[in-house]
Amino acid sequence: MRACAIRRTSVRARLFSPLLLLSLLFPVVTFASSYTLYIRSGSWTVNGSGGTTLPVWGFTDATSGGPIIPGPVIESHENETVTVTVYNQHTKSHNFVVQGVTTDTTAIPAGGSRTYTFTTPSAGVFMYGDTLNSNINREMGMFGAVVVRTAGGANTAWTGGPSYNFERLWVINDMDKTRWNSVASTGGTVNTSVYKPNYFMLNGLGGHDAMRDPNSELIGSAGQVGLVRIVNAGQFDESLHFHAAHFQVIAVNGSRPTPEWADTINVKAGQTAMVTYKMHYAGQIFPMHVHTAQMETANGVYLNGVATLIVGQ
Amino acid sequence: MKLMQSFAVSPRLRATIKHSLRSVAVLSFAVVATDFVDAAMMTGGTAAAANPTSAIPVLNAASGVTLVVVNNNKTMHDGQNIAFWSFCENGMGGGGGMGGGGCPISGPTLQLGVGQTANVTLNMMMAPQEQPPYQGHTIHPHGLDVPQSEDGVPETGAAVLGDTYNFSVDTRYVGSHMYHCHVHTVKHLEMGLYAGFVVKAVDNAGNFLNVISQNGPTYDYEWNMVLSTVDPAYHNQNAVGDSTVFADYNPKYFLINGNEGISTSAPADTLTAATGKKVAIRLIGLPSVNATFQVKNASGSAQSFVVYNKDGYALPTPQTVSSLVLTPGTTADVMVTLPSTSSTWYPQVTYKNLRNAGTYTNGTVYTKLTF
Repeated sequence: MRACAIRRTSVRARLFSPLLLLSLLFPVVTFASSYTLYIRSGSWTVNGSGGTTLPVWGFTDATSGGPIIPGPVIESHENETVTVTVYNQHTKSHNFVVQGVTTDTTAIPAGGSRTYTFTTPSAGVFMYGDTLNSNINREMGMFGAVVVRTAGGANTAWTGGPSYNFERLWVINDMDKTRWNSVASTGGTVNTSVYKPNYFMLNGLGGHDAMRDPNSELIGSAGQVGLVRIVNAGQFDESLHFHAAHFQVIAVNGSRPTPEWADTINVKAGQTAMVTYKMHYAGQIFPMHVHTAQMETANGVYLNGVATLIVGQ
Repeated sequence: MKLMQSFAVSPRLRATIKHSLRSVAVLSFAVVATDFVDAAMMTGGTAAAANPTSAIPVLNAASGVTLVVVNNNKTMHDGQNIAFWSFCENGMGGGGGMGGGGCPISGPTLQLGVGQTANVTLNMMMAPQEQPPYQGHTIHPHGLDVPQSEDGVPETGAAVLGDTYNFSVDTRYVGSHMYHCHVHTVKHLEMGLYAGFVVKAVDNAGNFLNVISQNGPTYDYEWNMVLSTVDPAYHNQNAVGDSTVFADYNPKYFLINGNEGISTSAPADTLTAATGKKVAIRLIGLPSVNATFQVKNASGSAQSFVVYNKDGYALPTPQTVSSLVLTPGTTADVMVTLPSTSSTWYPQVTYKNLRNAGTYTNGTVYTKLTF
């Protein structure tokens, strides 16, 4: 759950029932929420065989301690106004950009802060992160997801969109410990032309942990539909293969093509996708994993890369 | 198996784990690798007179197929000899472990009619394998959405020392899928334990129909293309177990149907067809990098083709394109309609790296379509 820590600093307007009623009568209702994020350096551990502790830079919403990988989930609704105040408590400049939503790429100097206000008109999933420093800052761990749900609270991917029974967020990434994290964290110059990532994570976890993390696993009874929001914050395209059933691809990087069936989805580096997966087999367990050699491993150790489980109840 | 310890495996699940080394059924098939016969002909259905030269056998999975795993090897264009493991029809490859004996790098294509029951046995006798925890092999019918007991995943209880796989699929699955070993896949997939799996529409008598999807158009020729890549370091006999070799991937050889095809004059595979006919090309993506498929004419101009299925499911609307990306673990069924005048086209795949879609030296694999 460390990957999904959420701490809101204000109560969502939708919690007021009169307004909720209004929202049913008038679909365009503006909500507001605010978040405070802190940028810090720290370390992140991939558990299990082949695991390691990597030096990272990243976001947290805790007033003390190191960053979390991925950063805190920012939750919003269609047409909601979100305010994010970012305190840079690291020794280097950083920024905060919600891909496809905000355009302010201004650097926040070390010790500085900046407040961003934006609306989220479209339900879906967006990547936020630091766009500075030739991908180094993002690679070091400075990324997270913005999840935008329906304004009316319906369990659909967007207002009028495909419905679901349960939802999951998968933020996947890759890290090159030797050539990037260990170099950048000690003030060295990363040769960005060479990138050989040896750690691959799902919600900050290697497969050892992600295959027993209820926030990552697809868990449901036969017939239930899971909405899976996927963010690839890494630099490698990742083809994710689901066992047991085909799924429908309902959104690709913010666009909503006519849904296609697939058993494997290529989520391009730096992009997002949403799929709906209907649980098929009651009482049976299957894997979901990346279908590319080294990405299934933690520094070469099998199945401690991008993998989780599909658990039919 | 060490990952079984990482999550609870119920007694019920354990009960589904099958006994190893089941008795091997006598095969009724006698398809010689160099004597390609379309399974549709064998079952009396409408024949697709496909004769690609890759010599990958096509077997009817419902008729009872026994596969073994054999050592194999191939000398590449630069003279380097690479060790592979291959799925091979029992009796066709000299027996497990005794050398490929003519079995292609990519295993036999399995076909299965809608509503029919696959009966595929993996016989582990003399199979080359790794030490525990990655011993043995399995067959994972990738894309066929089979039950856990037939899924071939050791971490969820699959037997690794031999098993029989039985399953059936409905009309949604008419199209291309794949099967591959799911033991230590970072090693075993790379070593060559993969092949195509094609689901066929059938008529009322159960004969295969030459339609590209359940309600799709007919084709005159059918051409399976298994896409794969080779990083020589993974094939080294010392690259076993949990090794940092597997932390990086640097493909050097690029294959279609187990063959390099580094120029139009040395194609990986060849099909000769009649003018004006329709050719279904089944693209089965088993590389560890991305791949772009195109059909170019003799002057290098990309021809359009129609994509009917992705991952073995019909698209809502067929898509006419001149380029299609296949990523690891994906398939596509496309149709090319040949002109009325004779010529030669070159269906080809360009492999691209996962970071920035950069190309590789000799990273384009050519095939040849003469009509």
